[in-house]
Amino acid sequence: MGTLKHYADRFAPLLAFVGVLLAWEAACRLFAIPAFVLPAPSAVIASTTEIGAGRWVQHLLATVQIALIGYLVAILLALPLAVMITHSRLLSRTLLPWLIIIQSTPIVAIAPIIVVTLGAGMLPRVVITTLIAFFPLVIATATGLASVPDELLELSRSLRASRSREYWQIRMPYAVPHIFSALKVAITLAVIGAVVAEFVAAEVGLGYLILFATSTFKVPMAFAALTLLVACSLLLYGVIVLAQRLLCPWSLGKEAGQ
Amino acid sequence: MKKMSKTLAHTLAALLACGAMSVHAADKVVFQLDWVPGGDKSAIYAAINQGFFKAEGLEVTLQSGRGSSDAITKLASGSADVGVGGIAALMTAVAENKAPVKAIMSIYAKEPDALFTVKGSSIKGIKDVVGKTVATATFSSSNALWPVMLKRQGIDPDSVKLLKVDPTTLAPMLAQGKVDATINWITVGPGYEAVLAQAGKTLEILPWSNYGLDGYGWSMMASDKMIQERPEVLKRVVKAMRKAFDYAIANPDAAAADLKAMVPEIDAKKAAAEFRSSIPLIQNEVSAKDGIGVFEPVLLKTTWEWVAQSMNYPVDKLDPETLVDRRFLP
Repeated sequence: MGTLKHYADRFAPLLAFVGVLLAWEAACRLFAIPAFVLPAPSAVIASTTEIGAGRWVQHLLATVQIALIGYLVAILLALPLAVMITHSRLLSRTLLPWLIIIQSTPIVAIAPIIVVTLGAGMLPRVVITTLIAFFPLVIATATGLASVPDELLELSRSLRASRSREYWQIRMPYAVPHIFSALKVAITLAVIGAVVAEFVAAEVGLGYLILFATSTFKVPMAFAALTLLVACSLLLYGVIVLAQRLLCPWSLGKEAGQ
Repeated sequence: MKKMSKTLAHTLAALLACGAMSVHAADKVVFQLDWVPGGDKSAIYAAINQGFFKAEGLEVTLQSGRGSSDAITKLASGSADVGVGGIAALMTAVAENKAPVKAIMSIYAKEPDALFTVKGSSIKGIKDVVGKTVATATFSSSNALWPVMLKRQGIDPDSVKLLKVDPTTLAPMLAQGKVDATINWITVGPGYEAVLAQAGKTLEILPWSNYGLDGYGWSMMASDKMIQERPEVLKRVVKAMRKAFDYAIANPDAAAADLKAMVPEIDAKKAAAEFRSSIPLIQNEVSAKDGIGVFEPVLLKTTWEWVAQSMNYPVDKLDPETLVDRRFLP
């Protein structure tokens, strides 16, 4: 009985996934749903052979490259910004409204303007990705840096610890769990950002492929590209989880094992 | 003095043009498309793959676009040198923003706009749309022409229910009978046929050019910057494109194969069918009379009048002659 429960626990997600796929396939066949409405999983798989594996890799790498560069730029921007916001009330009051303005502007709507301003190269795509991904990083890091108990800060000041030691040795450890949560949110946002950018201007990439496929009614191919995109997001998310487990296992806290 | 330096510049340009064939490095040109790669653009891909650009000493990079207005914006902002798009969109862009872009060669001497419906439907002619539901893409350039075309046919535009939807949903909606007709360019017909076939239906096309719509459609354009700074390069681009269109019209399948070679996602058979459906727009009684690529003043004026009427501009808002530059045609 115990082993059965163990197996159920272990394979339930996989079984659910296979079950959904089978139900989807059956529904498509049973109700003869045309491919332009909802392609069956078998049609989606078949569509992957329409272009060679090399071309798929080319599309995938283009998107991953933009997502990762945009993600790194977002991190490099967000951390100093968060320190500035925590450091000074004046900076916080000056910077925060701008960050909120950027965050509440629908990037999708201004993406074409960004492309026109910055040209059609890689730069506008990275900028769009960064704009979409960086906000949660700033806010979470700032929250983390500010979450240090006052007693600890007072203690460090009474021991005449320098400002940089205060940040590195007291504030940062408190911020790390917050930063990693934000890193996880931001990596999925970075993938979305790369796709948004490719919708607006790109010759290659999964976002471009989805746009191309839907505009030529190759719906199964669009689903295949979407599936690859989701898999890619999951994988990148997994990498961040792994990095946290390896680099800062203590920061996992109660959510360990997730 | 100014005239002399101009002559000198021309001589120099001509010398450079000869030189470019052999020793000089190829001239780099960024070519802006108005949409993602498709069969109607086969000729442009043939120009690259068959080496027509190379033979003119050109190194051309293609850039996909997201609609005619996007292509014109890219030309106006300098992120592309030459491009293709609907001349109606250029007219609107100049009327609204004085976009520094000119049309340099006509490609479609007839408007490509059409009403798509299914065989056996109650819509046999344009008069039958009264009381029907018609879907169109939200940002289609045809939308502005639609009420003008109906009025000229004596139909009240309000008597037709017009749905504005995302372009990708048009064919499925028509196939499922959710709408009676859709508004499209006739060049996308083959794609619609494939979707309709899945629902056991056949496509019926009613081109608006049969119902009084007259004017130039898809055209080649260049930025004012390109025209001023590199006129002789532009001349070679036009020459190569003319050659490419002749080639593609004579060999649609080979041109589609050129497209497929550069864009693996393309379905070569469908692309060839799409290009074939665009040939009557390029080669027709208008092009037979005036020649391919030409902007004939009267038809150009008619094109502008359609645009002006559909956008509610006074006809004297601009002179359509200022939108074209005919110097680059052979």
